[in-house]
This record gives sequence, C-alpha cells and structure tokens, in this order.
Amino acid sequence: MDRRDFLKCSLAGCSLFLVGKGLSTPLSSSALAAPPSQLSRVEARYYQKLPDREIKCELCPRFCQLGDKERGFCGVRENQDGKYYTLVYGKVASLNVDPIEKKPFFHFLPGSEAFSLATAGCNLSCKFCQNWEISQMRPEQVRNIHLPPEAVVETAEKYNCPVIAYTYSEPVIFYEFMYDTCLLARRRGIKNVVVSAGYINPEPLADLMKVVEAIKIDLKAFTQDFYTNYVRGELQPVLKTIKQIAKSKTWLEIVYLVIPTLNDNPEDIRKMSRWLKAEIGPDYPIHFSRFHPMYLIKNLPPTPVSTLEKLREIALEEGLHYVYVGNVPGHPGEHTYCPNCGKVIIERYGYTIKKKELSGNKCRYCGQVIPGVWS
Amino acid sequence: MKTSKVVVITARNVFSGQGLPDPRVVLKMFRKGLELLTGASKAEEALAIWFKPEDRVGIKINTIGRRLLSTLPETSITLGLWLGQTICREDNIIIWDRSNEELKDTGYKLSNTPGSLKIFGTDTRGAGYTEEPIVNRNIGSLFSRIQAELIDASISLAILKDHGLAGVTAGLKNYFGAIHNPNKYHDSHCNPYIAELFETDLIRRKHRLTILDALKVQYHRGPSYHPQWAENCKKLIFSTDPVAADAVGWKLIDELRARKGLPSLKEENREPVYLFTAEKLGLGQARLENIEIVEEEV
Repeated sequence: MDRRDFLKCSLAGCSLFLVGKGLSTPLSSSALAAPPSQLSRVEARYYQKLPDREIKCELCPRFCQLGDKERGFCGVRENQDGKYYTLVYGKVASLNVDPIEKKPFFHFLPGSEAFSLATAGCNLSCKFCQNWEISQMRPEQVRNIHLPPEAVVETAEKYNCPVIAYTYSEPVIFYEFMYDTCLLARRRGIKNVVVSAGYINPEPLADLMKVVEAIKIDLKAFTQDFYTNYVRGELQPVLKTIKQIAKSKTWLEIVYLVIPTLNDNPEDIRKMSRWLKAEIGPDYPIHFSRFHPMYLIKNLPPTPVSTLEKLREIALEEGLHYVYVGNVPGHPGEHTYCPNCGKVIIERYGYTIKKKELSGNKCRYCGQVIPGVWS
Repeated sequence: MKTSKVVVITARNVFSGQGLPDPRVVLKMFRKGLELLTGASKAEEALAIWFKPEDRVGIKINTIGRRLLSTLPETSITLGLWLGQTICREDNIIIWDRSNEELKDTGYKLSNTPGSLKIFGTDTRGAGYTEEPIVNRNIGSLFSRIQAELIDASISLAILKDHGLAGVTAGLKNYFGAIHNPNKYHDSHCNPYIAELFETDLIRRKHRLTILDALKVQYHRGPSYHPQWAENCKKLIFSTDPVAADAVGWKLIDELRARKGLPSLKEENREPVYLFTAEKLGLGQARLENIEIVEEEV
C-alpha cells in the first residue's frame, strides 16, 4: 500500500467518525474489534527499566511498576519483555471536527474548528466519566482506525481546521502519539490544544508545553476525599500541574464539572477560588459545567442551573475575572464580560459565537486587555 | 473450629518427558481431589453435587503467562472433557479467558463447534462484554458475556503465582479476566477489589469450585515468568471455598519462599490482604486455623 492508498483508507475510516459536528458515538465495546496484535508497539517515553524485566512508568503520578506483560492503570501501555510500549500510537478511537468552544476553550481562537481526536484509555477512573466508552476501555475493546501523526495533520488540513485538539479520553496516556503529532502540526502552522485532567508528572508536562498552545484542565474537585472516592487519584499533582502551566507561555483554562451533592459545596468553591487567585491570578477562565448522569453515577440528577449560578457568583466574589457556566446553552454565564467596564465582549449561544467586541486583545469599549489567544 | 476444607493432591509423575502435564495423571488428580473434598466414593458423584446435566459450565483459566506459565490445555481440556463425559453436555462447557490470542499463544486450539468442547476468548465475535457496567461497591465494570450470559456455573481453574502487587494471584483474582478493566484494580494491593469483584452476583452465584493449578508455581517475582523462581510443585489444590483455596495457595508460596531463603510475603509487605477482606464479606475462610487441609499423593 503506498501513501496515497493509505490515506484513502484512513480517510474512508474517518468518514465513519466525522459525523456532523457533535461527538460521534463512541464505538461499542460489545464486540471487540482490535486484536492485541493489531495495536501499536512504539516504545514509550518516561519510564525506567528495572531488574528482572520490570519497568517503572514515570509519565504520571501513579508511577506504575510492572512486570513482563503487565499494563499500567491506563490500560494502554504495556511491559513487553522489559521494554515499555504504547499500544495506541496512531490508534484513534474517536475523531471529529468540533467547535473549540466545546472543549471548552473560550479565550482561545473563538469560533475556530478543532480537529479532535482520542485513543482509548485513561489514567484516572472517574465514576462520572462522560466519555467512559472510550476512556475506560482498553484499546482492543474499541474500534480503532490507524491514523499516524502525518495522516492526522493532513486530515486536519483537509478539513481546514486551524487547531488539533487532543481530547475526549485522556491525552496524557497517548503522550507519544500526541507529542509527535503536535510537532508535525506546528511545522504546518496548525495549533495544538490539550484537554486533560492534569494527572501528569512535571517533566513530561514541561516537554509537552513546548509543542502545545493551550491546555484545559479538568479540576474534578477541591478535596482529596472526592479524588479518592470518585476519581481514584490525588488532588495535589493536579494543582501542581495548574501552577506549572500558569507559569509557562501555554494558555490555560479550567473546567469544574459540578456534581450535585458530591463536589458542589460552596465553601470548597470559595477555597478553590481563593487558591486560584493566589496561585495563578484572576485571569485564567474557569468553567462551572453542568453534570449529566453517566457511567457509574446515574442516581443523581443533572446539576440545577441555580447551583451553577451560585458557584459562579462565589468565584466572581473572590475576584476571578472570567467565570463561565457550561453545558447550559443560552445562559448569560456563557458570555465573556469585560472585567473593567462590565460589557459583554463575546456573546455566545452554546458553541456559537454571536458577537465579538474585541479589538485585537482589548475590549472594544474600554480598551481593557483581555487575556487569551485571539489570533 | 475448622469450617472449610481444602484438598491438595500431589503427583510426582505428572510431567511427561516433554515437561508437559500428562492428561492421564492430571485426571487421576482431579478424581482424587474431588473424592476427598466431598467424601464421595466416586468423583462423578462429587461433580453431580455442583453441576446439573443441563448446566452450561465455564472453566475460567489464566493464560496471560502464555505457554510458559498458564493453565495449560493438558490440564483444562482434561477437566472439560471429563466433565462433558460424566455430568454435562460437552458442548455446554466453555474453557475461556480474555482473548483468543492469549489462548492460542498458550497452545489452545480455538473451538466453537457444535457437539464439542468450546474454547474461546471474550473477544470472540458474538461474545464481547455487557453493554452497561455492573456495579458492586468499588467495582464498576463491563463483564465478559461468557461469564454474564453464556454459562450457568463456573470453575476457577487458576494458575497459582506470586504477584508483585496482590501478593498472590490464584482463584479469586482469576476473575479479573472476566471484566473489561482489570488495570483499574491493581492499586492498594488489589484490595478490596479482588474480593468485591468476586462478591458480584454474576460471579459469586455461578462459582462452584476452585481448582488451583500448582503444577508449576512462580513463587517470586510474579506474575511474570522467571524460571529461576519457578518450581515444579506437581500439585492441584481443590476447594469449594474460594478464599480458603487461595489461602492455602498463599501458604504454599510462602513455604517455597522460605525453602529458597526468601522473605515471606508479609515480610515483604505484600501479603494478600484481599483474602481477609473476602473473609469479612463472608466469601470464605482466609485463616489457616479455620481451614482443614487434606493432602494426598496419587
């Protein structure tokens, strides 16, 4: 198969996924579509070889120590005879063209389209995961298409996408594939954004930030209890990630999925807002998103809009400048307000930009600089 | 008071000249083990206690170690055929694990032919996993449809190994191969996950018998195969108490370690604490003082 045939094949595969503008249905797990032998076998980065063919993964704070033929918590990295491999290099399980607002990024090229992709796997285990049908799966349990970095970039170009988004599951676990794609995309003038839970070690994060323009962090809660009971991870490394990104040139936005009774305590939100203001300043956007019952948490209702409004109010009271309400189309909390003059400078309806009153990076009304990546 | 019985059968001649289990000897071990476990004069009577003629029986094996350290066909097929010739219909018996590739790499010839023993993995077309996760305490998983829908009764025919994280992998942990996300349950020494998985209705209700394959035991640096720490123990361990069977497996591993001058699992801070969790959940006996161990050689 030559390159042209290969791309033709890949794109034919893409057509299965590129359905409309919404996230295409993740592929069913009921019948397995990728025998383990069809997964990738590309050596992983950030690991240490240990005696007796064991390895220690150093990509994320779990530091999985694995014997031969064992996989990490993420389910997509495997020790094979003392060498650690990523099984999902170029193995795309979900692919779509999304508005950048869907990620959500509100201060990063508003109105642009992001060529969005994911592989199977995640290094967390959130009981409320909204994309569990790919994130909580092993790669052999979902249908994959083979789309190596060059094909990703070429396909993004074909769809005129100025941005590639690594999203849906957890891009940290397909680090090598993401990194190589970012490099190629950059050379071709395409920007890279990452949607992550921020469960990554400082060194790989620092390297990643050399090739991406923006990172959105899902901060799941502001208590370790929640991280222990509903996420199966630690809060502190995520906070460390947020600080590290804020200190860099990479743009940062934060999403907080508000789950009724579990992480919607106003006092916790107040503490979090104070922490954010003190540690990274008031200018990074935070989105309070509405939860919908999913995966292992189906016994709770969707977040009341009034809760989102209340939490937004607290964050504003604490001095954060850009506080949004997410997953509630038409809500005034979707708009960007100038923190100086209070006027609406970007008006949104869902993922659509209705009005943009920016002059460069400044409020058209009062000249206030609005932080973000606008062009 | 001893409340659970575990039978340990040894056969010095179980390995043939090629180093593989001899099915004739293995069958003798199965028969003796079940007779002693139940007190039945014939092993077939013992089988009839647990299995009805119309039952579809799953024999869950462990093939992650491939040919070097797995439940081998010489053992599991012997059990399946015997069961098929005595109590159940042969084509109602499924020898299974996660994937067809692992089964083939271990030396199994896949089979789904009417009239004969079935051998296939969860990734066989038409099998796969349940559509929705099943939740029990900390467990939330899709289950293999083999375990969930294609069988009525189950035997955990597990390889006994040292396990770096769990301490011991044996009959209970074997069911990690019945769910889609075992990688999510290896932290905290796999505790409480192994116990809570077994407690799930789909497993606990169907489980009839644990048989630990201790013919060759990896007693250190498991679950990967390291020949320098693997011993031909030539034993099979039987119990209807899944926790007691594993507790006796743990004892065997610690005895081997002591004999080789290695610290015990407890001394290495990786004793299989999930067994005590399983005991607390009422799944069986984890303490040796509550287990009657019957040993015999064939």
